[in-house]
Amino acid sequence: MLSSSVFQGFKTRTRRVVKRRSLWRSTRMFFTIFWACTCKDSKSALSERATLLQTISLPVNYLIMLSLFVLSASNAPTAVVLQDQGPYAQAFVRAMSEAHAFRLFMMPAPEADAQLYQGTLVAVVTIPPTFDKALSHHQPIQIAVQINNVNEDLTNDVQRGLGLAVTTFYAHTFPHQVSIVSQERDAYPQDTDYLPYLALSISVISLMVSGMLQAGMAMAREWETGTIKELLLAPISSWPMLGGKLFGSFLIALPAVIVVLSVIIFLVGDWPANFLMVIGVSLLTLLVFVAAGLALGMGLKDRATLTTITRAISVPLFFVSGVFEVISFQTGAAQAIARAFPVHYAIVLEQYAFKHFMSDTLPIDADALILVGYIIAFVGLASLTMKGRGIAQRSSGGKR
Amino acid sequence: MTQAKLNGYSPHLRRSASLPSIPERSRPDRMTSKLAQRKKQRLLRHLEEAGIPVIQRQKSQQLACLSAGRRPRKKLPAIAIADLSKVFGKRGRQIVAVDHLSLVVEQGEVFGLLGPNGAGKTTLLDLLSGLLAPDAGEIRILGFDMRKNIREIRERLGTVPQETALYDELSAYANMAFHADLYGVPGKEKEERIARLLDLVQLSERKDARVGTFSGGMKRRLAIARALLHHPQIVYLDEPTLGVDVQARSAIWKYIRDLRTQGKTILLTTNYLEEAQALCDRLAIIDHGKLIAVDTPDHLRQTYGGRVISFEIETNPEHQALDLDALHALPGVTEVRLVGNTLTVVTQGEHNHLAAIVSVLSSQCEIKDIALRESNLDEVFLQLTGTALRD
Repeated sequence: MLSSSVFQGFKTRTRRVVKRRSLWRSTRMFFTIFWACTCKDSKSALSERATLLQTISLPVNYLIMLSLFVLSASNAPTAVVLQDQGPYAQAFVRAMSEAHAFRLFMMPAPEADAQLYQGTLVAVVTIPPTFDKALSHHQPIQIAVQINNVNEDLTNDVQRGLGLAVTTFYAHTFPHQVSIVSQERDAYPQDTDYLPYLALSISVISLMVSGMLQAGMAMAREWETGTIKELLLAPISSWPMLGGKLFGSFLIALPAVIVVLSVIIFLVGDWPANFLMVIGVSLLTLLVFVAAGLALGMGLKDRATLTTITRAISVPLFFVSGVFEVISFQTGAAQAIARAFPVHYAIVLEQYAFKHFMSDTLPIDADALILVGYIIAFVGLASLTMKGRGIAQRSSGGKR
Repeated sequence: MTQAKLNGYSPHLRRSASLPSIPERSRPDRMTSKLAQRKKQRLLRHLEEAGIPVIQRQKSQQLACLSAGRRPRKKLPAIAIADLSKVFGKRGRQIVAVDHLSLVVEQGEVFGLLGPNGAGKTTLLDLLSGLLAPDAGEIRILGFDMRKNIREIRERLGTVPQETALYDELSAYANMAFHADLYGVPGKEKEERIARLLDLVQLSERKDARVGTFSGGMKRRLAIARALLHHPQIVYLDEPTLGVDVQARSAIWKYIRDLRTQGKTILLTTNYLEEAQALCDRLAIIDHGKLIAVDTPDHLRQTYGGRVISFEIETNPEHQALDLDALHALPGVTEVRLVGNTLTVVTQGEHNHLAAIVSVLSSQCEIKDIALRESNLDEVFLQLTGTALRD
């Protein structure tokens, strides 16, 4: 054991040698380390082509996958067996097509029955041969509707759609018989279709997956390969190092932003209301999730686990963040859950930037500030994890 | 001026006067204030003969002969550890990696931590570099408290981890440049230092090649070069020759010896005895996180190993079996082993036991040959821990 007198001498020496660095030197060091980490991570990422490809291709995959989901779920495939070719019958079919509930296919009865049996149709609507005649004589008409009620949601769509079709038909064909007419005043100059509306939310999820994967992989790789020791042993604060890594991953994930925005603008047809704001919001969104990836990579220390978790959490987050409906229309509980995640604020901002939609009760500035807060929180969390977790447990492979 | 002429003066004065370089400037000091006038005059004469500038204070007639205005002081220990402990795991499944370990490594020393896998060497290095926080105890590196001055310590440390911690996807040069930036090596010196160190480890020609294409030995050499880039005072080498071929090993040994001549303190862990013997000024034997022994390799052998006497014997069929207990009973005999016709007797102590052993043996068998040698570190380790090093 060392005698206390030995340590006495050390303390004197310590006091003499330790000097505070000048502000200029500290600032210069901060940016040197920041830039060194940015450059190093960018070079490392570019050398791993598979990861890079994944970072860019995954967001597009998500866009396509979720768009297909939206398309498939939007309208019920319905066969119309038109046994009467009269003008009223034709008008009724037009009314059905305006009900926003059906994808209509005209076909003969046997084929419709076969397809319903095969499960490719939700409903078969048969317009009877006496439709026009009965209508002319003010007689009751029975429209036969066969429903494949395997999915109650689609069954309800068909039921609502048919009711709406009847009302629309009467409003168009016999306007004097319908005395109640709604007068619509829109909050926004034009309607937005479901896919363009949803595409904005999907873009956020795509950027989330891309950012988290890129930054998380970069961080977890340091632990897996043991190179984290090089960073941990350096006489530096964790902030410039994490900042540099954050910026490096952000730069590498930037092509994903370009790809996602290109798909939304040019393929989906969502033209931005404010182009600069769209770019700003998209970059802020990416930065949030790059920071989240950094914290996750620091915590998990394993690339395989990180990939699995990133993919696994993206879809649930997508659903709880008020994607399918405007969050302010939803229940208090649903709103509270959505507001716990940055995905929600990013979606709100993205919708505002693209369409000037106000889909949250908070002001837009507050949403942006909350996202900035998330960035700081995630980087702070990564810094704490870095300081708090011993490296011997992983880097030394349990060796003592 | 010889040290002999200065006998009788204070230790400070003796050290000052024996400085090899001529100081640029000097200042008065109190070190001679208690000397008698006659001694002071004699000392002054000696110092003048040696060509060492002296300032004499008029009033008190104090003498000073100091280097660059500083009193030579005793060098602080490079590493000082007191009662250090580290435990992994939760209650019930705890593993004591370092167990109340105390140690002092002097500056300029090549100090070896010797122990089998799992002895706690790497954990100790991680504790000494601040990667792990100790559960108990105190660490001071070059006088700096590990808890308070971690940044100052890290500026002075160069570490070569066992897994080298190099970026395989980057070039050798990029690895070095990144390290230089992390340690604040000035931009003007960066290029020159990298070039010189890559040259030193004979990797200049491969500086633009990806490290992933390097052999284990090349990576190890590059890691050493990287660790030296910021001119550390202390270098930690964790199993520096693990998994490298013979050529690379001899090259790494050469670098370590070169570092010693530069006055750097080196702390290396190894489980190769020949490496410990060849490189280390002092050795600490560690097992199960505990410090078993600390000394020079030679002294460890002398203290714990003793002499190994091997007899080639031929037993007489008419006699009974060899009585090994009689040999065991001899004073100084610590171990007796019989394998085939070879009888090995290990003895300890200053006395020569050979005559007594031969006397006992010759009555029981015919001695064909006798070989005498000092025990090696493996035997020392076996003696101290009860297990062979590579167990």
